[in-house]
Amino acid sequence: MSKVIVVTSGKGGVGKTTTTANVGAGLAALGHKVVLVDADIGLRNLDVVLGLENRIVYDIVDVTSGHCRLRQAIIKDKRLPGLHLLPAAQTKDKTAVSPEQMQELCGELKKEYEYVIIDCPAGIERGFKNAIAGAERAIVVTTPEVSAVRDADRIIGLLESSGLSSPELIINRLRINMVKAGDMMSIDDILEILAIDLLGVVPDDDEVVISTNKGEPVVLNEKSLSGKAYRNISRRIKGEKVPFLNLESEGGFLNALRRIIGLK
Amino acid sequence: MYGGSTNLNVEDFFDDNTILVQRTLRSGQSISYDGNIVIVGDVNPGAEVIAGGSVIVIGALRGMVHAGASGDANAVVIAFKLLPTQLRIVDHITRAPDDVENLLDEMVPEIASLKNGVVTIERWEVR
Repeated sequence: MSKVIVVTSGKGGVGKTTTTANVGAGLAALGHKVVLVDADIGLRNLDVVLGLENRIVYDIVDVTSGHCRLRQAIIKDKRLPGLHLLPAAQTKDKTAVSPEQMQELCGELKKEYEYVIIDCPAGIERGFKNAIAGAERAIVVTTPEVSAVRDADRIIGLLESSGLSSPELIINRLRINMVKAGDMMSIDDILEILAIDLLGVVPDDDEVVISTNKGEPVVLNEKSLSGKAYRNISRRIKGEKVPFLNLESEGGFLNALRRIIGLK
Repeated sequence: MYGGSTNLNVEDFFDDNTILVQRTLRSGQSISYDGNIVIVGDVNPGAEVIAGGSVIVIGALRGMVHAGASGDANAVVIAFKLLPTQLRIVDHITRAPDDVENLLDEMVPEIASLKNGVVTIERWEVR
């Protein structure tokens, strides 16, 4: 089972960093030793989403340029003993690291950790090439928007030509009511274009915004549906067969009534 | 093997000059060839296919396609699902009307060809 995983999307703002944080936390909560690598040099966010910003001393550029040892730059998560972060540099840019250095770094990390998860920057330039250089497996995140799906398709093509031949898909921020009304692309619409394996679907959920702003991954929130979706995705990454969530809310008095009188 | 069967002479087909592409073309990917192109897979939006001759897509054609790019007015485009962003034959450029979405509930193979100087799209039938 490959364990250096890159989370990518092409388009910005679809939830790469949120996905990286939650999948990483999800795998760590299942007892795995995980390191998250923020490859978005110059626009680092993953530390903020994890609530670890104030613990950063050294970063990825310090490691690749030899200013510190790898172990010194890695931060332990405050909640999950298995979760670790290698933060990006904020004062440098993407050219501060080369794809060869990333390969070497990933090689070092996978000796120590069961899962190395790389948060890829938006775009298809140097930052993307760095992020995928050491990866053995790829997760493509998209939202149900034509532009995001178009960029995901482009990214899948680039991943395939870089030897990451079977990327898996996460559809983020799906609003089932809008899909039912025909106002949003459905899971099937997206899969018809992208034609890759589906790793999971995360519903649009206010809890994600709340927990991201608090620096607490939503995957640790037992009550939220999006947290459940991320927990299932984490288990699927391990290779477990987990059935897909039913995103339709079947509860409520009206639905119960409809069921009783046979409307459903 | 079968009584009365006639073997066609393979050499009669050599001039057809055709390549077989056994993959899906994704956004940003492009193929151009001065002959016929047969694609076994989809052509996604943002991908482009440029052929000197005809283009046949055994799948959904959603990207940009240019047949007869070097002037062959007999070039055609055939696809299982013909939904191109833009379709060009020789120097004629066409696109689907803006106000139409999914004209057909069930897609059938269609052929685009030049007829009297107009790009015409019809249900594809063996003639």
